[in-house]
Amino acid sequence: MAVNLGGLLMKNPVTTASGTFAAGREYNDFVDVSTLGAVTTKGVSLHGWAGNDTPRIAETPSGMLNSIGLQNPGVKHLMDVDIPWLNDQGATIIVNVSGHSFDEYLAVVDELEQACVHAYEINISCPNVDAGGMTLGTDPKCVESIVKKIRDATDRPLIVKLTPNVTSITDIAKAAEAGGADAISLINTLLGMSIDAERMRPTMARVVGGLSGSCVKPVALRMVWECHQAISLPILGMGGIMNGLDAVEFILAGASAVAVGTANFVNPFATQEVIEGIADYCERHGVNDVNELIGALKC
Amino acid sequence: MPLINEQARIVENECVGPRLYLMVLESPQIAKTIKPGQFVHVRIPGMPDHILRRPFSVYAANPATNTIDILYQTVGYGTDFMTTLTPDSASLSVVEVLGPVGRCWMPPEHVKRALLVGGGVGAAPLYMLAEQLVKAQVHTDVVLGAQTEQALVCRGRYEVLLSSHEADVVAPLCSTDDGSYGRAGFATSLVAEALESAAQAARPYDYVAVCGPEPLMRAVAELCAGANVYCEVSMERRMACGIGACLSCVVETTDGKLRACVDGPVFDATKVVW
Ligand SMILES: Cc1cc2nc3c(=O)[nH]c(=O)nc-3n(C[C@H](O)[C@H](O)[C@H](O)COP(=O)(O)OP(=O)(O)OC[C@H]3O[C@@H](n4cnc5c(N)ncnc54)[C@H](O)[C@@H]3O)c2cc1C
Ligand SMILES: Cc1cc2nc3c(=O)[nH]c(=O)nc-3n(C[C@H](O)[C@H](O)[C@H](O)COP(=O)(O)O)c2cc1C
Ligand code: FES
Repeated sequence: MAVNLGGLLMKNPVTTASGTFAAGREYNDFVDVSTLGAVTTKGVSLHGWAGNDTPRIAETPSGMLNSIGLQNPGVKHLMDVDIPWLNDQGATIIVNVSGHSFDEYLAVVDELEQACVHAYEINISCPNVDAGGMTLGTDPKCVESIVKKIRDATDRPLIVKLTPNVTSITDIAKAAEAGGADAISLINTLLGMSIDAERMRPTMARVVGGLSGSCVKPVALRMVWECHQAISLPILGMGGIMNGLDAVEFILAGASAVAVGTANFVNPFATQEVIEGIADYCERHGVNDVNELIGALKC
Repeated sequence: MPLINEQARIVENECVGPRLYLMVLESPQIAKTIKPGQFVHVRIPGMPDHILRRPFSVYAANPATNTIDILYQTVGYGTDFMTTLTPDSASLSVVEVLGPVGRCWMPPEHVKRALLVGGGVGAAPLYMLAEQLVKAQVHTDVVLGAQTEQALVCRGRYEVLLSSHEADVVAPLCSTDDGSYGRAGFATSLVAEALESAAQAARPYDYVAVCGPEPLMRAVAELCAGANVYCEVSMERRMACGIGACLSCVVETTDGKLRACVDGPVFDATKVVW
């Protein structure tokens, strides 16, 4: 079941989607984090962000919207509290990094270089001053430039997490590859909104938010498949994975590893069940090594 | 206390008032461990397109019968759908409950006199606290508010409980919005009078617990701040994970944005930024 995600060795292909599993401790009664391929932690910024007003979520058909606003207590807290705990548990750690400017991303990575973590996942879906306040991840030039800067700052596996809210996902994937990324991950949430017609009001305080859960899976699969064909980097696939079979679909489309997000809210054992489901699929199909399935879609 | 995710058989699911239902669940581990004010995060079967769990406070727990009671009001798709679940259905007679979650009510250690204020369905999460206080022989008064007399569904249980306590037998003080039972209007005026008369009788309250609509909780919190009485409130927020991981459910407090699911739902009222 072991896979290699751009230099990050994972004992199985399953990690958690950033922001849905905190740093794992909250799920400790259900999931032994050392059994996961990796734990991807909640997006972290330099000094911490307060996040958005509530209501921050809305349920939508087969999914949900969120506008948490990347609330986090800052990188120091992560290094003092969460990373030591994850180290004690024997977890493989991917830290998801956010920033409002190029300098902030670099400052966070710089701090983390002193911590025992195994890879970085750079969330380029944040609004960014160096991208004129736009989401960094929608402009190939900005993407290449921030990835290059971070590449120069670390030798650790560098995963770039793409936003699906773009016209051409492959252009962004190519920019990440050109910047020196070791892997890409996708998809982050799809921008959406929800309305309470009776009250004539938006359902969430921020009006718009990011869509996740089963309803996004077809979009996510399509994007993983397109990127797999367009670039040669390994892919961490996510978006609506609720069970082992969903995960296998992503692997067939070209993902080397997968992340489980919203499913954790429905079923706290979801990550474990996805691992078991992949193993079960391999057994049923006489597959000895899960790596044989990566991109094995027969078109 | 470790969190448990239990398959709970529905023992009973009855309409008990206008849009109000009582669901009794066989949930042995949670029945044994739940504390007053904590809640369970419920996955309702048969509505797979509605993926999120729903949080419900535990109204009563009975370790002898391994059951917990949930009093719920129908306000949307999930709670409407819940009314269709029955103990005799083959596929829809088991719900998945995750719990016990959250910070429980925490009366001060040597509390002498407590006032519990429940607005609408908010009367339910206070009942186990009332049991705990009565058992500890704390003089406990209860104010219940609802829209109509029929909606005062918890009154009976509180009456039985309060009359089991030998000293001052006091039935719950009630208010209804339409005046059909007790004081006409909101429960706040009853609370103001109770605080005042207790202080005048030199037997002041040293603890007030309130659960109900946010304007009621805020008004009571302000009365308590004015009377210098320690007050706790139980906050409601939309929840995804229900166990502290996703930050969906935050409450603005003087200590920053805290999670209603695990840092609450019960908060020191002076910490809440309304
Ligand atoms: C800690 C806590 C304890 C609660 N205890 C009780 C109780 O004992 N009895 C009772 O009747 N109700 C209780 N509630 C409120 C109850 O959770 C909601 O009424 C219920 O989730 C509504 O679901 P729905 O599908 O009918 O509504 P919909 O509007 O269809 O729900 C859509 C989404 O919004 C969420 N939501 C809607 N209203 C609320 C609300 N008021 N609070 C939190 N989430 C909401 C739902 O969970 C769901 O995710 C409690 C809420 C919390 C946070
Ligand atoms: C509540 C919530 C919080 C999230 N927070 C982050 C975050 O901090 N950083 C990030 O890169 N993605 C974040 N995401 C996006 C997820 O990691 C994931 O990309 C997305 O939800 C799609 O996967 P899913 O359908 O399995 O949830 C968040 C998603 C949710 C639902
Ligand atoms: S509901 Fe996820 S943190 Fe409270």
